[in-house]
Amino acid sequence: MSRAGAGDRAPLPAPADRPERPDMLDLGGVEARRRRRRVRAFEAAVFVPVLLALALLATLFFDVITDSFSWQVIAPHNSGRSFAFAEGFAFHRTWENVVRLELLAQGRTPEEADALLADPEARRLFAARNRVELMPWVDGLPLRWLVTSSRDDHVADLPLFEGVGRRRELLASAEPGQVVLLNAWLDWSFFLKNASRSPAMAGLLPALVGSLMLIALVILLAVPLGVGTAVYLEEYAGDTPFSRLVELNLSNLAGVPSVVYGILGLSVFVRLLGLGPVILAGALTLTLLVVPVVVVAAREAIRSVPDSLRQAAYGLGATRSQVVFRVVLPGAVSGITTGVILAVARALGETAPLLVIGAAAFVPRPPAGPLSPFTAIPIQVYNWVSENDVEFTHVASAAIVVLLLVLGVLYSLAFYLRRRYESRW
Amino acid sequence: MTDTAGIPAETVRTAPVPPEESALVITGLSLWYGGYQAIHDVSLTVPRNQVTALIGASGSGKSTLLRSINRMNDLVEGVRVEGSVTYDGVELYGPDVDPVEVRRRIGMVFQKPNPFPKSIYENVAFGPRLMGFRGDMDALVERALREAALWDEVEDKLRSSGLGLSGGQQQRLCIARALASDPSVILMDEPTSALDPIATDRIERLIDDLKRDYTVLIVTHNMQQAGRVSDRTAFMHLGRLVEEGPTDLIFTNPKHELTERYVSGRFG
Repeated sequence: MSRAGAGDRAPLPAPADRPERPDMLDLGGVEARRRRRRVRAFEAAVFVPVLLALALLATLFFDVITDSFSWQVIAPHNSGRSFAFAEGFAFHRTWENVVRLELLAQGRTPEEADALLADPEARRLFAARNRVELMPWVDGLPLRWLVTSSRDDHVADLPLFEGVGRRRELLASAEPGQVVLLNAWLDWSFFLKNASRSPAMAGLLPALVGSLMLIALVILLAVPLGVGTAVYLEEYAGDTPFSRLVELNLSNLAGVPSVVYGILGLSVFVRLLGLGPVILAGALTLTLLVVPVVVVAAREAIRSVPDSLRQAAYGLGATRSQVVFRVVLPGAVSGITTGVILAVARALGETAPLLVIGAAAFVPRPPAGPLSPFTAIPIQVYNWVSENDVEFTHVASAAIVVLLLVLGVLYSLAFYLRRRYESRW
Repeated sequence: MTDTAGIPAETVRTAPVPPEESALVITGLSLWYGGYQAIHDVSLTVPRNQVTALIGASGSGKSTLLRSINRMNDLVEGVRVEGSVTYDGVELYGPDVDPVEVRRRIGMVFQKPNPFPKSIYENVAFGPRLMGFRGDMDALVERALREAALWDEVEDKLRSSGLGLSGGQQQRLCIARALASDPSVILMDEPTSALDPIATDRIERLIDDLKRDYTVLIVTHNMQQAGRVSDRTAFMHLGRLVEEGPTDLIFTNPKHELTERYVSGRFG
């Protein structure tokens, strides 16, 4: 059936020998229907993995969010009394109000309670051991305040939906003097509390501050290094053996497992430079990890600046550095920012290299500066997950929700920037 | 494959430019891209305050010649230049001449309008800012835009993006941008090839005005354009300058057969 190929130089068949040309407008024929079926089948085949990925993502979110709530039966160490919402609420002073009510319930006089609240040290101690919780379901009444203590005895801990299903059973199981409550592990105080051996009192503050300081240092180190390298490779270096070597190294570095960077950081920054396991050492290690990502993104962005603009600037008598700083970088800034944000998001989630360089397992207070020992959110999650106490899984879930939220914000920002500056020329 | 048949050994010159009128003098210029020679021993004198057109088929080296005048070719890797280009007697390829300085004195307008993605005002102010201009920028921008016959159209939107203008306006903005640096010579590389006939007409009239204050050298594919705007015309073929002279003589009475065939549209 096939016509002679051009390769073997056979003479073209005479017109009479040619196969009948099919009807060009075969719109409703068997062949067309078969073609459409194939297209639909292919579309379905590519859609299934997308659906699967979305389902998995939804499951993850559902899991960590529900896991950061639990029903608890506790034998309170404090008075065990709860207070009506209206009784305790006061804008900006709710905590003081409720604590005062609790102190009164414990039998202190109003003068004693006020004196305790006025003394900063006493307040700090009280806040370290007790938390004020808004409970949707205490004593069968909606919205009441309760002051829980790290010395409460946690009798039972039920997952969110199981607790709803076995509500009667749960309430009946509470002995006199015990309280049933829905504990929202991810509440505002979770961001403000320091680390603790008691899950109810454990907060994210040291890890959050550690992560933010890490990110700030990584940006400070990786942006000049990465953008500088990209500018050098794109605008200055010709096609020399040296620039080819740099390029080869960059693409290889981007694929090195992060643990390996951890070992590099451990031997160079922690030991050789003698920094010890501090934030700066962690930031330097993460910088090595993300610089290739920044370089690749920045080169892409620099290359997208049309050459005609460089020509225009050179034609006006710009020097090479003027062209870089007045034309190329302003034109590439959105692409570079997007790349930096994605790199930072990666640094934020990295656990292995920080574990290797020795990020601390337990950091009671937020780090003071770049030379303090530190922990970061993913490390904190890792440590909480490996704790024995079941309640720590709720704390870990709450921390994961925070991590995902921060990542979500970063990715949205990158997405927005990309859309906003997509077609400038 | 280079067919040099018919190209005269010596450029045919009609009514040479008298020395007192000459601004740019190109002498024995040859240029190589790596091993490929793009320009062969070209000598051309460009008179002051006149428009000189460079014509020739694609690949004849006219753009390359234009770009070697303000040393834009220095930016291309592997370029080698021999010969001399002088402006007012100053050798532009001299050992202590900074190409950046040359480009500040000799402005350039490109084939495709290429305004910066900045405001109209910042586009015009770009060149003066490069040189650290500290004077009255508003007045300078206005003067350049007036000279480029764009002021009336953009007067009340100086702060909006230069990319929002039409193609013809963008090209006049690029001309204003070149003028703002107060150059002595303006090089134009097919400045109207991306424009419609009406915009082309605006630019051509503008070029006619510009020669009062500037020396203009324009590369064009369009023979009618060369005829309309230029005082002198130089015809290039395969990297060689075949013939040059007053435009009316080149078009009505070309001396060389290649020129005659080109201007009458029989090749190219």
